[in-house]
Amino acid sequence: MSILRRATRFRELPVLLGLVVVYLGTGFLNPIFFSVSILNDIFFGVAIVATLAIAQTFVIVMRHIDLSVGSVVGLTSFLIGDLSSRGFSLLAVLFAALLVGATVGAVNGFLVGYLGLPSLVVTLATLYIVRGIFNEVGKGQTIVESMVPKELNWLGLNRLFGISYLFVIVVVLMLIAGVLMQRTRAARDLYAIGSNPSAAGLVGIPVKLRVLAAFTATGAISGLAGAVMLARFNSSSTQSGLGLELLVVAACVVGGVSIAGGTGSVFGAVTGAVLLQTILMAIGALGIPQFWQLAVNGSLIIAAIGLDRYLSTRLRSTNIMGASS
Amino acid sequence: MTKLTIPKVVFSWDKGVVLFLVLSIFIGSYASEYFATASNLSFVIASIAEIAIIAIAMAYLIISGEIDLSVASIMALTSASIGYAFQEGVPFEIAVVLGLLVGLLAGLFNGVLVTIFGLPSLAVTIATLALFRGLCWVILENKPVNQLPREWIDLGNKNIPGTFFPWATILVVLFAGIAWFVLHHTKLGRWVFAIGTNPVASRFSGIPVNRVKLGLFVFTGFMSAVAGVIYTLRFASASPDGGAGYELSVIAAVLFGGVAIAGGVGTMWGVLAAVLSLGVIKSGLQLAGFSANALLVVSGGLLLISVILPRVTEFVRIQRSKASTIKRTQQKEKERVQK
Amino acid sequence: MNQVNPPVLSVLAGRKAFGGVQALDGADLNLFPGEIHALLGENGAGKSTLLKTLAGVHKLDAGSVTLNGKSFQQGSTRSAQEQGVAVIYQEPSLFPDLTLAENVFVGRQLQSGKFVDWKKMRREAATLFSQLGVDLDVSRTARGLSIADQQIVEIIKALSINAQVIIMDEPTAALSSKEVDRLFSVARRLRDQNCAVVFVSHRLDEVFALCDRMTVMRDGRTVGTELVSDAVQSQVIKMMVGREVSELFPKTEADLGEIVLEVKNLCSEGQFQDINFTVREGEILGLAGLVGSGRSEIVRAIFGVDTYDQGSVIVNGTPLRKADSARAMAAGIGLVPEDRRLEGLFMPYSIAANTSITLLERLVRKLVIRKKDEQKVAENWAKTLQLKFSSLGDAVERLSGGNQQKVVLAKWLATQPKILIVDEPTRGIDVGTKSEVHRLLSKMAQEGLAIIMVSSELPEVLGMADRIVVMREGRQVGTLSRDEATPEKVISLATGAAALR
Repeated sequence: MSILRRATRFRELPVLLGLVVVYLGTGFLNPIFFSVSILNDIFFGVAIVATLAIAQTFVIVMRHIDLSVGSVVGLTSFLIGDLSSRGFSLLAVLFAALLVGATVGAVNGFLVGYLGLPSLVVTLATLYIVRGIFNEVGKGQTIVESMVPKELNWLGLNRLFGISYLFVIVVVLMLIAGVLMQRTRAARDLYAIGSNPSAAGLVGIPVKLRVLAAFTATGAISGLAGAVMLARFNSSSTQSGLGLELLVVAACVVGGVSIAGGTGSVFGAVTGAVLLQTILMAIGALGIPQFWQLAVNGSLIIAAIGLDRYLSTRLRSTNIMGASS
Repeated sequence: MTKLTIPKVVFSWDKGVVLFLVLSIFIGSYASEYFATASNLSFVIASIAEIAIIAIAMAYLIISGEIDLSVASIMALTSASIGYAFQEGVPFEIAVVLGLLVGLLAGLFNGVLVTIFGLPSLAVTIATLALFRGLCWVILENKPVNQLPREWIDLGNKNIPGTFFPWATILVVLFAGIAWFVLHHTKLGRWVFAIGTNPVASRFSGIPVNRVKLGLFVFTGFMSAVAGVIYTLRFASASPDGGAGYELSVIAAVLFGGVAIAGGVGTMWGVLAAVLSLGVIKSGLQLAGFSANALLVVSGGLLLISVILPRVTEFVRIQRSKASTIKRTQQKEKERVQK
Repeated sequence: MNQVNPPVLSVLAGRKAFGGVQALDGADLNLFPGEIHALLGENGAGKSTLLKTLAGVHKLDAGSVTLNGKSFQQGSTRSAQEQGVAVIYQEPSLFPDLTLAENVFVGRQLQSGKFVDWKKMRREAATLFSQLGVDLDVSRTARGLSIADQQIVEIIKALSINAQVIIMDEPTAALSSKEVDRLFSVARRLRDQNCAVVFVSHRLDEVFALCDRMTVMRDGRTVGTELVSDAVQSQVIKMMVGREVSELFPKTEADLGEIVLEVKNLCSEGQFQDINFTVREGEILGLAGLVGSGRSEIVRAIFGVDTYDQGSVIVNGTPLRKADSARAMAAGIGLVPEDRRLEGLFMPYSIAANTSITLLERLVRKLVIRKKDEQKVAENWAKTLQLKFSSLGDAVERLSGGNQQKVVLAKWLATQPKILIVDEPTRGIDVGTKSEVHRLLSKMAQEGLAIIMVSSELPEVLGMADRIVVMREGRQVGTLSRDEATPEKVISLATGAAALR
């Protein structure tokens, strides 16, 4: 088997390499970068996007997209703080967050799966609607530290073997999701749906149901991610989560979860998120003004899409003149 | 009739949008006494000028089967370029031309990635949305430019003397008129519809699909730049987060105006009516005391309706024709057996 | 093969209509376990509809389908598969991002407990592959697989669901001769495992080489079933066509003019190589060869829809820029494409709009398209071509295949081209319209039009062309003048039996 083919089988290779290169390269130019505190910052700061990226993977491998995640996570981070300050238990508020997220996800999933509407438009609309409702409900209020459940506060401040608990949560989630994506029929169906949407129905996959389930799952996790957000910032307002969806999609694409669907892993998504976060820190460490961050992210996504496209066209067969494989 | 056989839904769609517009105006006037005033109408038109201009180009693009999510970023990039150049001492007129050029180049960048490199426009323009916006931050850092020439700011904010139309209206009407004419009466317009309906058959019919699409992306970049100029003048400032989220309003307007997300279908009338409707609704909501959030929810709702409705009517149509076909064949078989 | 046992699948007096067209009008089929059964018939004979019924895409209006004595549940593809009927299409639809093993078991992944067992899937898939004597790596993704390999994977998939009936729809269309051999050996192994294999084709040589029995269809009904060993080729052709072959195609008189088109050393990697020919005014040049020999690729490259790597195309002495269909059109070339539904027409558009799409330049006055002129042009051509329609504003979707093809012809003839390329001009068209089309092309040639005709129907090529260029696997293997050309010579060149010259 050619090297090209083997390399492309390991989709996460480019992003891992990228991560290594960026980390080592930056550290080489500025050895302070190799410090433990930088590592802590990376893992701490990446938690929210990484969690959302894991969830987004379910949807992107089906060749769909969920742009409403930013609005949802902002809303639930606010909700958790608000309900908690009214005396509800941690479990209750987490459940509420999950429910809210799952509901939005289910609406998305129904519209996309059963009515066949384009996911871009649907999740764009729910992005609007959720943000609008959120702004109205949370008007002028802010969730402050005293309102944050103490468990979340604790998770945000402490570390397990030097790594923030928030990232530990990400890792655990990634492992569970990873196993599910690799080893359950329902998840494998998601990949089939994204790889060849028209054929998926014909081979007996319950496409509509899977789409509904995937979007609901994404919504649910995004809802729970509100807890992570609250733990991370110790505050929340109606500005929370604004614009996050872009970062999340970027993390996935960069991490090898192809926007064309059918391929990619939660491991790649998390690595993509870590890469983006590392670049953010690297920009600072290299003395480049922070203002370059967004432009760099944008260029990265273009590069990732281009690479993805290049690899897939290279492997397409043409042959009329003699058989080949 | 030589009319392109566009599904009935759309013909009633853009009539429906115009109706909606009229209705909204009525409801608006009913909801608040300030609605039908000259100053308010002027405000409404001013507030939708940028969206209208970008929507004109976006309509073409979506009809041809593509999309551009980076338009608001191009708008901001233009604004940033103008502000920066002016701050560095470039005469404002030249700075404006520079800004327009930047928009053209941004559109070209998008177009090349899509037509020559074959990358999907949705993904690419999500990336350039970030890239172009990022360049705004690089250019301006977090120092917006607020000192702009008085005469120009007036142009962006005052009305045409004797009317309640802001100066920008001239541009909107001009572009809309030309765009309508080209789309519905010229060869290029036919090409755009054909490409969106069936890009393969278009290639096989001698239509230079890639050239046309490239041109549409450049056009979109240009119009985003024009909108950026207007925006800069209206707010009398060039700032890196200007116009954030505008792309969603544009797309919502275009889709609500009857342009199918899959391409091949749409009218300029519908799009303009939709843009105006959104402006009217926004104003109405504000005057009635609703916060800006209500508008967000309403925009989202309209967006959903504009995709759900065609699907529903299509579904009903298919069910009806299926039923009649089944009836016919059953009849036929019955007759044959009887013979 | 065992005819003493009852058939595994039977279709009796099947009838199916679509709109006004009676696609099946008394179709019968009996399949026994352990045989390779050919289903023969021209385009439009009903093979495809019958197939699709067995595949679960359609339901018959009348007639019965029985599987192992019990009624076969129609109308659901999933149900058809569950009942043990699998169809391998010409263009298989695999999942490019999944591995071959996963493709085989897609939707029914093998599990151990609640979890997907990759090792088991790989093992089982590998076993099935080796049972059929095929050497493919089950761990590779399906992306980049050749059509031949994709078909094999589909066959393996069918085996893994214990299909009793495996139907292959024109499987050899896009295969090289080596791949055809491999497919045949796979088919034989399937037969030995007691499957009923249906081989749908109109390549008689293959049918005679591979199949045990054959069923011939014409105009929607079964006209004959017999053992291949008893069959005579000319009789079979007669059954398929319904009349003597020679009647069908009017000859043209060649009054040849200048050379209008020259193709020199045209090469496109993986598609075709070293293509050289010329065409004169008034000449009909036939491009013959098996489906998949590269002919459509060549004409698409000439017209500029596809690009090529080397060589040149020269129109009236001027080299033509490659990959630019707009320019080719301006230079006077037209192409009536192979796939009229996808490539030739805008299905939701009206007859008039389809006709005018190539004429927009001419219909424009002061930038505006004159709709009245558009109407007139469409009317004129509809009359000339004897198009059957109710209104010019009707969507072409509603027309029959033959009339749709006329619209495509109209749109190109209206541009008054110097060179017209027609790719399978009468595929899927009823016989009446077929001869109309041929008569029209002859007339145009007489008026000086240069025509390149790509066709897989031998009688058509032999009847219409002044010269025939034969292609095989992307290479030009021979040129025959009208006088020299015989079916045997063309077929032997096309299949590589013996190289001429």
